[in-house]
Amino acid sequence: MAVDQTNLSYEHPLYATMDKMPGITVATTTVDMLLTWGLKNSLWTFAMATSCCGIEFMHANGNRTDLDQMGSVPRPSPRHADVMVMAGTITVKMAPRILRLWEQMPEPKWCIAMGSCAISGDFYRDMYSVVPGIDTMIPVDVYIPGCPPNGDDLMAGLKRLQEKVEAQRAGRWVEPEGRPETAKAILPALGRVIDRDGTQTERQLRACQSMGLDGNEHRQSDLVAKSAGLLSNLLKLKGR
Amino acid sequence: MDPIFQPFRDDPHYPLDRYEAAADLMLLNMGPQHPSTHGVFRLKLVLDGEIIVKAVPYMGYLHRGVEKMVEGLTFAQMTPIFNKHDYVSPMTNEQAYAVAVETALGIEVPRRARYIRTILAEIQRIASHLLWLSTFTLDMGGVIGGGAAMMMYNFREREDIFDLFEAVTGSRFHYNTHCIGGQRHDLPEGWVQRVRAFLDRQERAFDEYLRLIRNDIFDLRTKGVGVMSADLALGLGITGPNLRASGVDFDMRRDAPFHAYDEVEVRVAVAQGCDAYARYEVRMAEMRESVRILRLLLDQLPEGPICGSKPVKMANAVRVPDGRGYTAIEGPRGEIGTWLIGGGEDKGAKPFRLKIRPPSLHAMAAMSYLLPGHTVSDVVVVLGSLDPIMGEVDR
Repeated sequence: MAVDQTNLSYEHPLYATMDKMPGITVATTTVDMLLTWGLKNSLWTFAMATSCCGIEFMHANGNRTDLDQMGSVPRPSPRHADVMVMAGTITVKMAPRILRLWEQMPEPKWCIAMGSCAISGDFYRDMYSVVPGIDTMIPVDVYIPGCPPNGDDLMAGLKRLQEKVEAQRAGRWVEPEGRPETAKAILPALGRVIDRDGTQTERQLRACQSMGLDGNEHRQSDLVAKSAGLLSNLLKLKGR
Repeated sequence: MDPIFQPFRDDPHYPLDRYEAAADLMLLNMGPQHPSTHGVFRLKLVLDGEIIVKAVPYMGYLHRGVEKMVEGLTFAQMTPIFNKHDYVSPMTNEQAYAVAVETALGIEVPRRARYIRTILAEIQRIASHLLWLSTFTLDMGGVIGGGAAMMMYNFREREDIFDLFEAVTGSRFHYNTHCIGGQRHDLPEGWVQRVRAFLDRQERAFDEYLRLIRNDIFDLRTKGVGVMSADLALGLGITGPNLRASGVDFDMRRDAPFHAYDEVEVRVAVAQGCDAYARYEVRMAEMRESVRILRLLLDQLPEGPICGSKPVKMANAVRVPDGRGYTAIEGPRGEIGTWLIGGGEDKGAKPFRLKIRPPSLHAMAAMSYLLPGHTVSDVVVVLGSLDPIMGEVDR
């Protein structure tokens, strides 16, 4: 396995300037540039590891492709983190919790969809219990395809995110145009279970609502209402 | 341990109002997102101070509906789905499925294919136990407290194993290398020598691990924690290293041989301690035993075809007739069973029902028996020592 070292250099005007001035340890820069430089080189990750990709995420933070070298430290709490790495399948039962954890992350925050389950639901996407992709709930910045993507891929994804952060801070970021054919193509296929009878969608929605946060108790809260709204959107999407 | 917790250890449904608390009881949720719950697992703990009175496990946060999904798939399409159940030992899960269909169809697997399967299974066992060791020590020491050092050592060897598997199958993680009737990929040239070199490194690494974790703190955290009697283990259907750590001498590799295990001698590791330390002992001994078995298997690896005379590769070629049967193999976590009812849609090209019996699910059932009387900090030790994988618990 070869890690392309040329992609891992952290070129910054500050470095070049300081190289030209040996012995001088003071350099002037704008506050904004300094902040951007610090921000993009300390993207701490919060691994929302639900399944297989979580193991590969551990490997990426292990000793072969050490993500620490990019300033990316895995944190167990969403409150410490800048980037949520959604690694694994998202189930209907887990989706409200993922949303809440995302809301607990402080701004600025980014999201990486790692692996095909987080991108689109993979081959579980038509199942009754699976959410077809994290981007049905949370805006995604970088998609890393693979099942699961290995450490190199994750590193390349983080590098892309660093570029995006830099461009965003400099006001150079342009949202890529959504291609209509792609948008059509990534819509979930007709649900196998949901399609079987017309009332399934409604029944499933009601079941999710009554399930509440606890999974066993009937409890109404803002979050449940929010997740119910989310699910109804999702099921509309599935039924299309 | 205080005897007032004994009723809760005997029966998790013992009513809470009969317990005389020293202070107000407190409800603590652990998970579903928690760095030490090995995936998305939730424990509801009722606490008296720091002591657990009652523990209720909740599962289903990774329920992907696999058993329903495979009813709409042909038999050749299923292998890549089965290795995602237990994502720490994908190889043995594929094998459990392949063995089930082969038994149903009465297909004889060539001798070389059986040897390759055994070799891959044993390497996978080492890899799985290494991940267990790293997460177990991570849970106890924390990332800051030196536990991460152990993980770095374990993952060094796990990367080697991934390289070996990648050389055979082309994939690091989800292999899809078993087809019904044999193997899809033969061993590449020079692979056996690479495995031998890896085994030498691995054997030296065991001593390194011991130097890292053999200390008083490790003993204090694990000895006498999570004591599971043999009766309880047998009653809950717990298999694998967790059962052997309770003093029950049962290993399907020796007692109900599959693959090529009938051609090698398997020395089963048994410990009498019943606690987390005994489970650690058993798994460490199993890794050393796997190294020994692998050397034997590599010595007597036969030549020949890797797939049957009529390789069953076409999606529509496999048709399991109406009938039912249970097959099981010994995975790193215990008995991976497959209950297969044939004669499904499309004249038996799809299964009518395929039920997987995951060993981790049964281990999770023990949580509510083991935890009462322990402190909150022991939860991760007990959970880690049982080595559950949520992918196969919820499926």
